Amino acid sequence: MGLGLALIAAAAMLLAGANPLLGFWALFRGALGGVPQISETLVQTTSLLFPSLAVAFAFRAGLFNIGAEGQLVIGGLVAGVIGARLETSGLIAIPLLLIAGSAGGAAWGAIAGVLRARFGGSEVIATLMLNIVAALLANYLVVGPLHSPGVAGPETAELPHSSWLPALLPGTRLTVALLIALALAFVLRWVFDRTVFGYELRAVGDAPEAARRAGINLAKTAFVTMALSGAMAGLGGATIVTGVLHRFNVSLSPGYGFIAIAVALVGDLDPLRIIIASFAFGILQSGALSMQALAHVPKDVVSFVEGLAIVALAARRFVAGRKQMTALAPE
Amino acid sequence: MYPGGVHAVAGVDLDVFPGEIHALCGENGAGKTTLASIAAGKLKATGGTVVAHGNVGLVHQHFELVDRLRVWENVVLGREPHRGAELDRAAARAEVEKLSREYGLAVDPDAVIEGLPVGIAQRVELLRELARDPAVLILDEPTAVLAPAEIDALFATVRALAVRGTAVLIITHKLQEVVAHTSRITVMRAGKVVARLETAQTNVDDIARAMVGGELPELAARLETTPKPALAVRGVSAGESSLAVRNASFEVHGGEIVGVAGVEGNGQSALADAIAGVIPYRGSIELDGVALPAGDPARRIAQGIRTIPQDRRREALVLSWSIVDNVALGDQRRPSLRKGVTVDRGAARELAKRIVERFDVRTPSVDTSVSALSGGNQQKVVVGRALAHEPKFLLVYQPTRGIDVGAAALVQSRLIEARNAGVAVFLISFELDEVLALSDRVIVMYRGAVVGTFERGAIDRARIGSLMAGAA
Repeated sequence: MGLGLALIAAAAMLLAGANPLLGFWALFRGALGGVPQISETLVQTTSLLFPSLAVAFAFRAGLFNIGAEGQLVIGGLVAGVIGARLETSGLIAIPLLLIAGSAGGAAWGAIAGVLRARFGGSEVIATLMLNIVAALLANYLVVGPLHSPGVAGPETAELPHSSWLPALLPGTRLTVALLIALALAFVLRWVFDRTVFGYELRAVGDAPEAARRAGINLAKTAFVTMALSGAMAGLGGATIVTGVLHRFNVSLSPGYGFIAIAVALVGDLDPLRIIIASFAFGILQSGALSMQALAHVPKDVVSFVEGLAIVALAARRFVAGRKQMTALAPE
Repeated sequence: MYPGGVHAVAGVDLDVFPGEIHALCGENGAGKTTLASIAAGKLKATGGTVVAHGNVGLVHQHFELVDRLRVWENVVLGREPHRGAELDRAAARAEVEKLSREYGLAVDPDAVIEGLPVGIAQRVELLRELARDPAVLILDEPTAVLAPAEIDALFATVRALAVRGTAVLIITHKLQEVVAHTSRITVMRAGKVVARLETAQTNVDDIARAMVGGELPELAARLETTPKPALAVRGVSAGESSLAVRNASFEVHGGEIVGVAGVEGNGQSALADAIAGVIPYRGSIELDGVALPAGDPARRIAQGIRTIPQDRRREALVLSWSIVDNVALGDQRRPSLRKGVTVDRGAARELAKRIVERFDVRTPSVDTSVSALSGGNQQKVVVGRALAHEPKFLLVYQPTRGIDVGAAALVQSRLIEARNAGVAVFLISFELDEVLALSDRVIVMYRGAVVGTFERGAIDRARIGSLMAGAA
């Protein structure tokens, strides 16, 4: 599949009037060509990893959280609004802002969770729509009621230096957020594979009626899952604010929460494989600009290939499902 | 071919002639359904040929109907009559009504499948196949869920079809029916044909011996018990309209099996769901004299109430999971199956091994996914799990539906042994023979109400039959 996508990408570059070989060279040079490039790729990897884990977590419970984007924005908003007003030691401020961002994302995810748990509303529609509400709400708040004096754009004032996430590599934007994201992936793997909670969550996702009759509360599981999923995406937003931008800006995410759906599927909903998938998509994200600058390939080609990857994956799952159905005739 | 390279069916020859009713018998996993699917063109054989002089129709064991569509929509699905781009509803409904009259299969063309009792759903599936005017009709376990009167009606239809020249192949475990209604019998075991019999020259015992490859297992002996109160159902009403249970009261004591005799669709399903705690109900359900809260299956499980639900593939098992993971389901919070916040896989594995051994589950390993097991072996896992933690009360719904004689006898024996050990067993089955064979007491249900009670010593089969049919 990888080769096929590469060929299609090459064809797209030709159509855009660019040299595909040059395009790929620029993409990889821009993503992996040196320490600054690699660290920027890892920044993108980190920002993708949080919402991807969020999406995978909900998917495993049978919930299609399409709203990681909105949860990430709200998490960033909460961290930015509080962070811009908070003058205290980093030892207090940083954990506080990350927790506040998670709480914001959790609350945003919980809205869809409540609708689903109480009224059986589709979480797909709710989370999808809440993305738009989140973006508009964030814009309204930072421009309106929570406006920071002296700030012109749709953003908060800068966070005090003490509230910035510590850098992993001096002089780059790569911070300890990467380690937090990796740790989260390992914790999730442990939760799914080992814990009673993960067992119940997977039961609900794989066979809801059997889970219900086994005494597992479906509504409660849906609510808790959506809140925790939102918390992971919100934490991602908070790390972008405290680690990358050092302020909240309404365009803090170029669609991480949407790309995350593809990343989670490429990673087969397995937290550890999602790390690798996030890195692969991180390369695309960070190489895209260099591709545009050096090879004159529009960076939209990357979005185009990402979209194709989602379609191809969905098709692969569908075909695999059908093959399984015909191979195992009911006895 | 099953995963792992084992052929489900190997080198089988089978001829079915026009006008003949031919039985295909065999234990679970013998390859009957696979063979039927190959004959009907739904599965590809890796070798060999299928020759049919016309269409082949297949009525499935697990119905393949679209639940949310109406009866007529299901019947014409795939070859809808149309005027231009527009579906010709009138023509479609007329066709269904005509078929329904012609074959004496009464259905409401506008009913939605979801709400129909299985017996009716099967008629719809049969109508759908008959609408294609098949030269060969294959019925996979057609009587597994039917009441006695419905079974007679089905065979009347089948005989009429045979007289018109259709070749009929019936896959079934019910050997009485085989002897009563077919002309020839093919017996399969482990994917191969092991016997070809003329019905006129054989009997139930010979067929059963050919199926299991030896003598039949006998049911466990019933021991003397001293029944003591366990579960009491008092004035319980639940469920919707025609399928509701109405004001039912009875008691099930430890050390006895209470069986429900009744035609499907007379409130059994709602009663079972109320007892399992998965639907709201009026009245009270008490365990050891204490009323249970509604809508709390977890509490019931913790107190020793276990259920074997009617649809094991959807309501009892997580099909994609291994046997090890499935045996913990429902007990995942029990201290013996967890270590702190984690699942104790070692303990679950030990439990799975015990169940596989004690219930003779045919599987390559306890790590095999339950979707790869035959229906009988899946059911053994479900029953084994329900009995694993010394339950006080066991609700059993159609425990032997669609499973072979060997597996059925084993499951029934384990139920009797549980009763002997003091468990209160409540059995709902649409096979009257099973109810009468296992029960210490029989209650009869009709239109959601309990209309009669019979102690084991005073069973009046004819009276039960007429109460089931609504006689006052």
